[in-house]
Amino acid sequence: MSLFSFSAFILSLKLSFIGVAFGANVSKKADKEIKKTFDVEQTTLVQTLAQDVPGIDQERLYTVFNEGVLLGYAYLGEASSQTDTYEYLVIFDANFAVKKAKVLVYREDYGSEIGSKRWLKQFLNKTPKDRFAYRQNIAAISGATISVKSMTNAMNNLMISLASWQNNETANKS
Amino acid sequence: MKQLLFTLLIIPVLGVSQNLNFQNSAMRQLSNLENSENRITLGGYGEINFNGYDGKANEIDVQRLVLLFAYKFDDRTQFVTEVEYEHVTEVYVEQAFVNYNITDNLNARAGLMLVPMGIINEYHEGPTFNGVERPSLDGKIIPTTWREIGFGLAGRSNELSFRYQLYAMNGFVSFNDDYVLRGTDGFRKGRQKGAQSINSDINLSAKIEYYGLPNIRIGLAVYTGKTQTIDLEDAATQVGLTMVGADYRYVKGRFSSRGQWARTSLQDVAAYNAAGNTDLGASMGGYYIEGAYNLLPLTNRQRFDIFVRYEDFDTHKKTEGNVVANPAFHRKETTVGFSYHLSPGTVFKADYQNLKTAASDTSIRQFNVGIGFFF
Repeated sequence: MSLFSFSAFILSLKLSFIGVAFGANVSKKADKEIKKTFDVEQTTLVQTLAQDVPGIDQERLYTVFNEGVLLGYAYLGEASSQTDTYEYLVIFDANFAVKKAKVLVYREDYGSEIGSKRWLKQFLNKTPKDRFAYRQNIAAISGATISVKSMTNAMNNLMISLASWQNNETANKS
Repeated sequence: MKQLLFTLLIIPVLGVSQNLNFQNSAMRQLSNLENSENRITLGGYGEINFNGYDGKANEIDVQRLVLLFAYKFDDRTQFVTEVEYEHVTEVYVEQAFVNYNITDNLNARAGLMLVPMGIINEYHEGPTFNGVERPSLDGKIIPTTWREIGFGLAGRSNELSFRYQLYAMNGFVSFNDDYVLRGTDGFRKGRQKGAQSINSDINLSAKIEYYGLPNIRIGLAVYTGKTQTIDLEDAATQVGLTMVGADYRYVKGRFSSRGQWARTSLQDVAAYNAAGNTDLGASMGGYYIEGAYNLLPLTNRQRFDIFVRYEDFDTHKKTEGNVVANPAFHRKETTVGFSYHLSPGTVFKADYQNLKTAASDTSIRQFNVGIGFFF
C-alpha cells in the first residue's frame, strides 16, 4: 500500500472516531487523554476490529499509532449511572495492560465519585486475564454504590470480552 | 430501565447474542440518548416498618414511599424531583430542583434541595443504612429529612477526589404566631419543607466530602444563619444558629463502619425562651458510631450484615436564662440487629433498641422489623 493511500485510509477511520456515535465533546476529550497518556503530540487511531466481536463494538476499540509506531489501544465505553449514562475511556499499552482508566463525561451528581483518579487507579496495569468484583478486589465508595458497581462490571466485562477475542485470534492463527 | 440497559450490556458478553444483534443493541442504546423516552428516569424507595413497644400497643406503618422522577432537557440541564408519601396520608415534595452543568467540576442548582449535613439527610434510602429506624441523632439534632428552597453550586474534583456543595437557603421557622422550637428535638418542628414557607433571613449551607483515601469517605459540613419569623419587629422571635457536622463511612471487604458527630450552637435563646415560654437549648449535639459485618461470602449476591450502633447526644447540652437542662434530653441509645439484603435494592431488617436517658437508670426497650427498597 502506498504511503498516500495508507494515510487516506487512516484519515477516514479517524473521522469515524469523531463520528456520529459519540458526541464531539466525548471524542475531543478522548483524543486529548490518549495523547496525554502516551505523551505524544500526534496520534493516529485505527479501528482494531474488522467487525464486532461478542462484547466489543468495533467502533469502540482503537489501535493507537504515533508516526507508524504502535503505542497501544483505546476503548471508549458507555455505562449506566443512577439516572443517566456516562462515557469512559480505557487506554492499554501495546501488551493490553491498562495504562489509564478515565471517566470522560459523567452527567449527574449522584455517583460522580467514580471519576476519582485515586479510585480508578485500581484498574492500572491490569490485563484481560484479570477479573474485577465489587468489594472483593475493587474498593467501594460509600454513597456511590450504583456507579461503582456499574464501572466495576463494565471493566470486568471488557476484560472478559478482550480475553475471549484474543483467544479466538490465537486459535485462528494457529 | 437501568436494569434493562444493563441486560443489554451483559447479554452479548455471555455470548447469547452474536455479532449483529449486539451491534444493533449497542447502537440503539447510543441513539436512544437522543430519544425522548430515555430523558425520563423513574425510581423510588420506601420503608414499611413494625415497631414493637414495651407496655403499649405496637405500630405498623408505611413510614414512607417516595417516587423519584428525573427529566433530562439536554446534556447540561436536568430536573430532579422526589414526591413522598409519609404514613400513607401525608404528601410532601422532598426534592425538586434544576441542575445546570456549567463545567465538569461545577453545577449550578436551584429549587427544593436536601441540606447537606451528616450522612442520612442525603443518603436515606432503606437499603443504604442499618437499623429499621434512622439513627435518632438524625432526627433530633439533624432533623432529617431536612430540605429547603435555595440555590447554589455543587461539583467535584476528580484530581483531588472531593465533592463540594454550597447553597444559600431558607431556614427553620421559629415563630409563625407560635413559638415552635423546643428542647426535646431542637429545630425539628421548625422545618418548613418548602410549603408556603416563611422567609425573613437567608442561611448558608456547605459541605465538602473527601474520598481520596482507600475505603473511607469523610464529610465536613457547616450550616449557619438565623431562623425565620413572621414578626420582623420582634427580635425575640428569632434565634441564630451554627451547626457543624462531621461524618465518615468505611467499607472494606465484609466489614463496614460509619459515624457521625454534630454540634449546634444557638444565639439569643434566652430571649426566645422567655418570650415563648419554651425550653430550647443553647447548644446541642452528640455522636453515633456503628460497625457492621457481613456474614455471607462476598461472592454472594445477597448480604447479611449484623450491626451494632451506639448514640450519645443531648439537645440540652447547654441552656440559658431560666431554662434548666433536662437530663431526659440526653439520650444514650444502643441498637443491635441485622440487615438482610435479599438483592441489591431490597432489604429485610430487624433490630432491638435499648433507649436510655441521663434522667433514669431504667431504659425503654423497643423491637423493630421492617422492609426497605430502592430502585
